[in-house]
Amino acid sequence: MQQTQQTQHAPTPLLQAMGLTGEGKASAVPFTLDDYRRQGGYDALRRALRELSPTQVIEEIRTSGLRGRGGAGYPTGDKLALVASGRSTMRYLICNAYDADARSLISATLLEQNPHLALEGLALASYAAGVSEAFLYVRSARTEAAASAQKAVADALEANLIGRNIMGTAFSLAVTVVGVDRSFMGGEESTLIEIIKGRPMKAQQRPPYPAMQGLYDQPTAVQNVETLANLPAIISHGAGAFRQSGSRATTGTKLLTVIGPGGAQLIEIPFGASVRQALQQAGIDANENNARGVVVGGMEGGVLPLSALDTPFDFDPLAQADAMVGSGMIEVLPVDACMVRWAMERSDYLSEETCGKCVPCRVGVKRIAGTLQGLVSSLGQPDDLKLLEEFSHYVPDGSLCGYGVHAIHPVVSAMRYFGDDFAAHLAGKCPTGTCQPVRAHRFNTKHVL
Amino acid sequence: MAITVRPTASGVAPTPGSDSSQRNEYGQPTFTVTIDGRTMQAYEGQTLLSVAEENGILDIPNLCNDDKLEPTSACRMCLVEIEGFDRPAPSCNTAATPGMVVRTKSDRLTHIRRTNLEMILSDHNAYCQPPCQIGCPTHIDIPGYLELIAQGQNREAARLVKEVLPFPYILGLTCPAPCQEVCRRGLVEEEIAICRMHGFAAEQCIEDPPTPWPQEAPTGKKVAIVGAGPAGLTAAYYLALKGHYCKVFDMMPQPGGMLRYGIPEYRLPKNMMDRELESVWKLGVDAQYNVKLGVDFTIDDLFNEGFDAVFLAIGCWTSNELGLPGEDNPGVVNAITYLMDKTQGLPVPVDDTREVVVLGGGFTTFDCTRTSLRLGAKVHTVYRRGRQEMTATFEEVEDGQSEGTDLQLFASASSLKINDKGELTGIEFQRMKLGEPDSSGRRRPVPIEGSEYVIECDTVIPAYGQKCDRSVLPDEYWTKRTTIETDPYNFMTKRKGVFAAGDAVLGAATIIQGIGQAKLAARAIDAYLRGEDMAAVSKRIEAEEAKPDLFDIVPYKPVEPKVKMPMLPYEERKRNFRLIELGYTPEQAKREAGRCLQCACPAAGQCDLQKHSIEYGLTDNRFHDGEPTDYHDYEFDMSHSFILRDPNKCINCTQCVRVCHDVIGPNCYGMFGKGFDTIVSTPFNVSLHATDCVSCGACVQVCPTGSLMMAERELVRWDFALDRCIFCGDCVEVCPHGALGETPNFELSFYNRFGEDINMPMQDVARAPSFLVRQRVPRKQGDAMEEPNPLVRPLPARRIRE
Ligand SMILES: Cc1cc2nc3c(=O)[nH]c(=O)nc-3n(C[C@H](O)[C@H](O)[C@H](O)COP(=O)(O)OP(=O)(O)OC[C@H]3O[C@@H](n4cnc5c(N)ncnc54)[C@H](O)[C@@H]3O)c2cc1C
Ligand code: SF4
Ligand code: SF4
Ligand code: SF4
Ligand code: SF4
Ligand code: FES
Repeated sequence: MQQTQQTQHAPTPLLQAMGLTGEGKASAVPFTLDDYRRQGGYDALRRALRELSPTQVIEEIRTSGLRGRGGAGYPTGDKLALVASGRSTMRYLICNAYDADARSLISATLLEQNPHLALEGLALASYAAGVSEAFLYVRSARTEAAASAQKAVADALEANLIGRNIMGTAFSLAVTVVGVDRSFMGGEESTLIEIIKGRPMKAQQRPPYPAMQGLYDQPTAVQNVETLANLPAIISHGAGAFRQSGSRATTGTKLLTVIGPGGAQLIEIPFGASVRQALQQAGIDANENNARGVVVGGMEGGVLPLSALDTPFDFDPLAQADAMVGSGMIEVLPVDACMVRWAMERSDYLSEETCGKCVPCRVGVKRIAGTLQGLVSSLGQPDDLKLLEEFSHYVPDGSLCGYGVHAIHPVVSAMRYFGDDFAAHLAGKCPTGTCQPVRAHRFNTKHVL
Repeated sequence: MAITVRPTASGVAPTPGSDSSQRNEYGQPTFTVTIDGRTMQAYEGQTLLSVAEENGILDIPNLCNDDKLEPTSACRMCLVEIEGFDRPAPSCNTAATPGMVVRTKSDRLTHIRRTNLEMILSDHNAYCQPPCQIGCPTHIDIPGYLELIAQGQNREAARLVKEVLPFPYILGLTCPAPCQEVCRRGLVEEEIAICRMHGFAAEQCIEDPPTPWPQEAPTGKKVAIVGAGPAGLTAAYYLALKGHYCKVFDMMPQPGGMLRYGIPEYRLPKNMMDRELESVWKLGVDAQYNVKLGVDFTIDDLFNEGFDAVFLAIGCWTSNELGLPGEDNPGVVNAITYLMDKTQGLPVPVDDTREVVVLGGGFTTFDCTRTSLRLGAKVHTVYRRGRQEMTATFEEVEDGQSEGTDLQLFASASSLKINDKGELTGIEFQRMKLGEPDSSGRRRPVPIEGSEYVIECDTVIPAYGQKCDRSVLPDEYWTKRTTIETDPYNFMTKRKGVFAAGDAVLGAATIIQGIGQAKLAARAIDAYLRGEDMAAVSKRIEAEEAKPDLFDIVPYKPVEPKVKMPMLPYEERKRNFRLIELGYTPEQAKREAGRCLQCACPAAGQCDLQKHSIEYGLTDNRFHDGEPTDYHDYEFDMSHSFILRDPNKCINCTQCVRVCHDVIGPNCYGMFGKGFDTIVSTPFNVSLHATDCVSCGACVQVCPTGSLMMAERELVRWDFALDRCIFCGDCVEVCPHGALGETPNFELSFYNRFGEDINMPMQDVARAPSFLVRQRVPRKQGDAMEEPNPLVRPLPARRIRE
């Protein structure tokens, strides 16, 4: 926590690279290939291809401490090394620019404002991992971002920045833009591989991880677009410069979508800065008069009370607080939010969005939601809390993929920080007086006759 | 890369031999892993499940795994704990790596597996076996006849019932209906009126009742039946159907036993009863009345008269005594005598001037109570325990109260009050409370000190139940409890050829229990007459009667209240003995029968979900009574000629999806939708007919539940023109079933689908002139062979995988 940087003056390299000012206004004109190259774009790729071996690139990335921005925070250098060491001549890279949480601004803004930043990162990672075929996986419903990605790929191909014998070297890389709009699970790594293969949208068991056995059973690096967007700077300016910001555990900065009373905005903070500082950067002063809690991590995120706003925005501290980095989203809940209902609404949503393959997640989350509905409808009984507590272990322990592991954050964090709300509903009264009954029958235990 | 092996739990140091240079006979690199503390050999890429199973750990449950399919890990039943993994991992889909340390059992794993099953069963709109049928002592096919009634086929419904119970009308009015206590519809709102429904079906055809099957030709054997109560007449009915000559002997002037002489007219009209009993006499059963065993004849007499077997069904006709001084006072009335006299129209010692106290909590108690009420007396009914402990049905108690008795619970008679003139003036009671549970867990009532009180009355009817009359048979027939001693399954007494059942064996019980016994006894007598070994018969019946394990599945159906039986209003029950149940109209009966959930699944006994649910003790579920959105109610797809689909039983294991896509090829199934509504089905949910299905049945074979079933079909026998076969084996190649297999010799095989392989080497094929090929259109060449052939046999059910 001591590593926390002063946000006010903290650098915002990604926003800058997108031409967005530090204040986070999405006003600047999108970068063309020429704009990007004028600012030194693709120099990193040139340097890597001409001067560095793939191993050296991986080493540099390792030294930078870069961790995946997709949510799990796996060290990027290690992942690329794993793919590179795979026993195969065919390796794939998939750049995940999907934004499972449709409200997130991160991927779409990156693609719209400066698609070449991501594309250069994609090429660098592919070079490092020995990949010759890459997919840029975008959400087709974000039409501008998808079109921008498509154009960037065409332009880069034209300029020999991807394609055959890039910049006259022996490195060739085919890049395909895949446009998909398949709800929340479309962004989960094993699921998106199935989608690319044309199989049902269902998560797959890991291990084996995609890095060992992914697309068409070949080593596959699935990298978040924001992770890749960091690579050009690491190769150009060196790992040391990258390590300047961020925490000891997690170097660099993080783009965040902050949703407050004024709508959604994109900001950038160094890892380790507190949630409060992130809010301040978005111009939000969350206090007892205007906020009840702050959700960190998106639809699967947990809610923090105002008293926990000094929690550093970083993988481990957030996990310990029953929230998560997740889709990089911070939402402010209004003062009259009933946290039982909030947890219920999230669980309802999650029970509709699971891929439905494994039992604990398909049915378990539905039963959590149903139990919360009973509580919201003031049909709850003390046993319900025990059941929720039990399911907050059962679902993550039993589920197949990360979706089930995280799907319990809303209910767990709400119970942990807002126990009084649950007690009030158990006593038959909504703590903020805002809840309407949502069901007429609570679940009952019955025995075989 | 050097591979290090962790020290195992038993502290064995890594052996230098266990490095990647070791290979098995197929050239795969091998290494060791530790599972449940045991060190085992594994090869590269082998799943943990396979390692465990090869080494005799066979109790890892799995519901979505099949050896011939890529694992998918959807069911999460096979999870194991692996050191160094932060979450349990599916053993079906986790490759062993050198030195892995694995645990297949722990409280956490058991909890996850059990909860998985609970989750599946909370949205599984079907049930394996009907609990009602198990609950009925005669095991009537209840869902079967209810379905028939719902379709308006009342006569066929009555026939189905009569396969195991000859008197559905009588029982429809008098049975305490243990079946209804376990009816699963009760989990939705209220149980089905199972009892009244078979009464209804039988009433519809009471003038011309169906026989369950045609009477068999006379065997020449003779059976003497002592006692013309329900037990005796049931045995007579089934034995006569089997072609044996039966003669019934009874001490009373008319048949029916307690039905006639105990149960009052307002519950069972005797003219209707006689009509149903007609079906027995129609089968040629003879009867002789007014002859009493032990007085007018003995068992030896019967054998001497040429009977081959004797069946004793003499019931319990002696009222238990009050056990208080003054018992022989004329104010103390014998319950059975009272009821018997009343049913015969003889004078009884109760009228509208009397104040009566009836003691007890059984059928007899309430029959005496309600008979006295109908005679205009003022009645108190007193029982020493609570309402739960009463053996009378809930309705009877309620009716008794509504008709006007003063019911007092937890009071025990302590003395009779008799005045100087020797007249009964009252009876003293002591209040009781439930004591501490005794060794059997039962809480006996104990008196409360100083709580004595007196009810004034002039008549006391002790109705504490009945017992047998010990004097009619020699001592060696009796148990200590004064019941006739028999084998519990074949009902033969110690004397060869003498059988017994009913109240005489059970002690005063219920009609249906007695009939249940009599039905089995009739089977045993039939076997005896055919000279079978009675010990084997006993074993066979025991096996058949074994109660199957049931577990809890949340039923989902919209609430639909029970159709109430129209009853005679209470005020019209005074001073008459009219039947109080007015009967259903055909429409009401259809509606009520249609409520049945049809708790029967053809997969029962072969279903993996059922097997694991029993194993993991899923006797309860926490997710009953939710909203419609908490459950699924899918429509069946019965449109395909061979494959029946019931998505209500689908557990989304995707085995059918994988086998069809990966092994067979047509790709008919997929997993569709997302979230809770995810379901395995055909694209756009079309009929399986509209897909590329090749009817191979591979999906049915892999389906672990009853979701996919083979339709019953006629098997067609094909002739094999051996003189024309050139043993090219083309048929082997194209058969999608693998019904024809190729080994060193061309052979026919039932490849693992229906039990063990049957292989037929070439020479045997040559000797078998015809064999079975499952085909839709028969092609006939010459005369079909009638000789039994190992390949021509009905398809047995798939066995539960070991
Ligand atoms: C008042 C009353 C009400 C009841 N109500 C119900 C009810 O509603 N539902 C229910 O399920 N059960 C009821 N029961 C119990 C039920 O009647 C008996 O369980 C059932 O009748 C037993 O049938 P059984 O054939 O074994 O004997 P029984 O019906 O008792 O028949 C025995 C027959 O054997 C004859 N017999 C006896 N001794 C001799 C002998 N020595 N020689 C020749 N013949 C002999 C008798 O005359 C009689 O015909 C009631 C019982 C009573 C007393
Ligand atoms: S599918 Fe299995 S568990 Fe389901 S009803 Fe049939 S036998 Fe029972
Ligand atoms: S619902 Fe039908 S089949 Fe199921 S227990 Fe009740 S009567 Fe029997
Ligand atoms: S005879 Fe009795 S137990 Fe059997 S089905 Fe009828 S009412 Fe139920
Ligand atoms: S229908 Fe298919 S997915 Fe459903 S249980 Fe059967 S095999 Fe599994
Ligand atoms: S998850 Fe392994 S058998 Fe289903």
